[in-house]
Amino acid sequence: MSNSMKNIFKSPNRRNLLKMSGAAVLTTPFVSRAWAATTEINMLAWYGHGEPDIVAEFEAANNVKFVSKYYAGGDNMMALIAQSPPGTYDIILSDGEFVQQLNAAGYVEEMNAADYPFDDMLHEDFTKFPGHWSEGKLYSMMVRGGHLGVSYNKNAISAEEAQSYSCFWKPEIKGKLGHFDWHLPNLGMISLYNGNGSSLWNLDDAEWAAVQENTLSLRPQVGGYFDYGGTFNGLKNGEMLAMCGIGDWITGVLEKDGAPVGSVIPKEGGIQWTESYSIGKGTDKADIVKKFIQYMLSPVGQVKSAQMLAYPGFCITKAGRAALIEADPAEAKRSHQMDGMANEPISLINDGRIHYRDIPKQQSLEDWNDFWSEYKNA
Amino acid sequence: MNSNRILKIALTAYVGAIFLFVFAPIVFSVVFSFNSQRFPTIPLGSFSIEWYVKIFNDPDIWKAALNSLIVSSLTAVIATVLGFCTAYSDFRYNFRLKGPYIALILLPPTIPLIIMALAMLAWLSKLGMSGQLWSVVIAHSVLTAPFAMAIIRLRLNQMDPDLESASWNLGGSEWATMRYVIIPFCKPAIISGLCLAAAVSFDEFAVSWFVSGLNKTLPVIILEIVQGNIDPQVNAIGTFVFLTSMTLIILAQIFFVHRQIKSTNS
Amino acid sequence: MFNKKFLKIDIYAMTWRLPIIVWQLLFFVGPVIFMIAMSFFLVKNYRMTEAFEFVNWSKMFSKNYFWDSYLYTVTIASISTVFAMTIAFPASFTLAFKTSEKLRRWAIFLLIIPFFTSYLVRTFSWFVILSENGVINALLGYIGFGPYVMLNTNFGTLVGYMTLTLPLVVILQTITMANIDRTLVEAARNLGCKPLATIWRVIIPLSKTGLIVAAIFCFILSFGDFVAPFYLGGSQEPTLPILILDTTKSGQQWPRAAVVAIVMMMTLFAVAFIGIALAYRKKVKK
Repeated sequence: MSNSMKNIFKSPNRRNLLKMSGAAVLTTPFVSRAWAATTEINMLAWYGHGEPDIVAEFEAANNVKFVSKYYAGGDNMMALIAQSPPGTYDIILSDGEFVQQLNAAGYVEEMNAADYPFDDMLHEDFTKFPGHWSEGKLYSMMVRGGHLGVSYNKNAISAEEAQSYSCFWKPEIKGKLGHFDWHLPNLGMISLYNGNGSSLWNLDDAEWAAVQENTLSLRPQVGGYFDYGGTFNGLKNGEMLAMCGIGDWITGVLEKDGAPVGSVIPKEGGIQWTESYSIGKGTDKADIVKKFIQYMLSPVGQVKSAQMLAYPGFCITKAGRAALIEADPAEAKRSHQMDGMANEPISLINDGRIHYRDIPKQQSLEDWNDFWSEYKNA
Repeated sequence: MNSNRILKIALTAYVGAIFLFVFAPIVFSVVFSFNSQRFPTIPLGSFSIEWYVKIFNDPDIWKAALNSLIVSSLTAVIATVLGFCTAYSDFRYNFRLKGPYIALILLPPTIPLIIMALAMLAWLSKLGMSGQLWSVVIAHSVLTAPFAMAIIRLRLNQMDPDLESASWNLGGSEWATMRYVIIPFCKPAIISGLCLAAAVSFDEFAVSWFVSGLNKTLPVIILEIVQGNIDPQVNAIGTFVFLTSMTLIILAQIFFVHRQIKSTNS
Repeated sequence: MFNKKFLKIDIYAMTWRLPIIVWQLLFFVGPVIFMIAMSFFLVKNYRMTEAFEFVNWSKMFSKNYFWDSYLYTVTIASISTVFAMTIAFPASFTLAFKTSEKLRRWAIFLLIIPFFTSYLVRTFSWFVILSENGVINALLGYIGFGPYVMLNTNFGTLVGYMTLTLPLVVILQTITMANIDRTLVEAARNLGCKPLATIWRVIIPLSKTGLIVAAIFCFILSFGDFVAPFYLGGSQEPTLPILILDTTKSGQQWPRAAVVAIVMMMTLFAVAFIGIALAYRKKVKK
């Protein structure tokens, strides 16, 4: 009996059934875009980067199809690449600090700096962004960024109170403070609160102990540790009245949905997250990938990036910003991407109120993560 | 008599409450799938089918649904075959190393999924079998075989152990006994095993995410949306799956089981 | 009866015995060995390198948060098992003894349906039901109670575990109890045994095997679940599955995560082993 059972999936009947159902699906109006002889580009990215609102135009113009695999967290991304055959992923989008890891582990190809608009950057720092270069060679191209600060419910915390991280300790929000479940931005914010300014990632033993101490003092306020989905739910439902470790990339989406939330950069300073594209090692589609990265850095691409449905980020090129102001002035205004506005991202960087997110210098990632686990158990 | 009736009503109400608890999240999910708001809150927004329009227009979701169907069907068959063989071996035979033998099939659920996922990916990569739907089938069959085995083993426990030898005494060979006595007896358990294995495979996202490479199954799509976008598309997908599976199960009930009952009664 | 042929290979027996051995050797033993080996690897330059060092083990075992998490996970999973088995029992009892076979079959089939709907999506539904501005608190508000904090607490975690395990436990308990020897139950009643006593002294012992299997499954599922304590419990406190995921954020520390995974695996294996020994132990005839 077991033999005939094993024969079942070798018999023609099952194959025919699968073929028929497959044909039925494909003849429906929602035919897969891959039916034409298009080149497939395998993208590994955060959610949203392979969606039609970003890639549909490029796909149509270049006869390609993006097959995207979305991850949540750079560590899953790294593990996936590590255990997959080289060349599986043609283009990789990652957070700035993971670029160093990608490069150190040898997962990305070298890029030619002349291909990209380094002369049109809104800020000089973007031309030599830390981690993207190694020994004078370019390995990753920055494409968008955003700022992290105090995210709060406007009904519970006033705009003045939000100007400082100290509002997190406000007794009225006890049990209603949420943490985005990643040690890096949270501990970075406490470090800024402690007044470490631009050396927020470079803590000696005493400063590190001070950060730990202040973080632990926040524990009674904490309502929970959340990922993307949990954060949205917590803020929208009013379960959490303030969140540590996030910024406009979450509250912006909620604001558009009508929730009374917002993010500001407090006086102690904020943190910048950056996303960059790299070319996967071993890919045979390096040329078309390069073309797409150039597209994302062109004004058209920059506008799309700023308007991305999944979560917003700001433009990093001058031409991009100009195009955004022209195409979508409402969004440009909402995200302060106009010269002269308060909280305009570039001026914030120039004022020294923004610090790029980075990995800790004097402690290892393990040390910070170990403390984060201790904090959760406290 | 009166207290008996009260008891029966109370117990029935209790069963109803259990079903309410089990189905409440599903019902709410259906309601949210028609909600115009992206992030559901009380009070609800207006009625809208935009999320359904969104998923119907997305060829990736259709492809993933088909992938999920293929994977869970194949997984169910393989897992039930493995489960049956092992349950029968456990029931009928005693041999050296029987303990480790049983452990071999029962171990998989004890391993945390995310580590299992990475280990599976690493191993299947070495075998050159990663990144395909077959990779997911293999991984899932390993994960779901214990459930099938447990159900079939429980059923065999209820079988009179002398039934087999009676059949042999009457002149039946071992194979014939298997075909005409044991398998029919186990049929409900086999069907349950198939359903359970298919169901577990249909909803599994951790191992699938790592092992499937670029061939997404439906749970992988749901995971990606939940972790990166969080909108009621997941509720729409969930509702669609729920209605489909409910229909299939009701049909299966009516056609297969009902017919079997009828034929055994007549 | 058992080893009929001494010199010839018993093809019949081997047909049933071999498939699982072959399959698992090919596809399960390999990953498990890799996982165990991985716990001895080192991470250099964010890349796992093969090595044989005990540092991952010593580091993990020296951390207080590891033992805190371990204790909490065992506790909450045990509570979840007790809750699920207790809550399910009256319903399973009713379905097994007080309903017709047709209705019972429908009930079981209906309970399989939740398995086909995404556990993640069901968990997210609970957000709106349990939140302070959610359905339950709104209803309670009408009669003047609350609002109660249910999310991001142990209660939330338990609700999540029930969502995961209750259907399976009800199904297993019902199937078990429906298939015990009814004549023995009748005999007990005829001999004057009161209903509750019948349940305790006749039905439960007769259903011992199935009930223990249900409890084992429930414990294993709750112990290894990540979704309930993370989303509905807000990681207050973090369980071992959460810790595994957290450990990987230490710069690719999959080896250390593997250490936690192996500890979990051995714990569950011990639980399953003891449980199955209890379940299948034949009573010694006096």
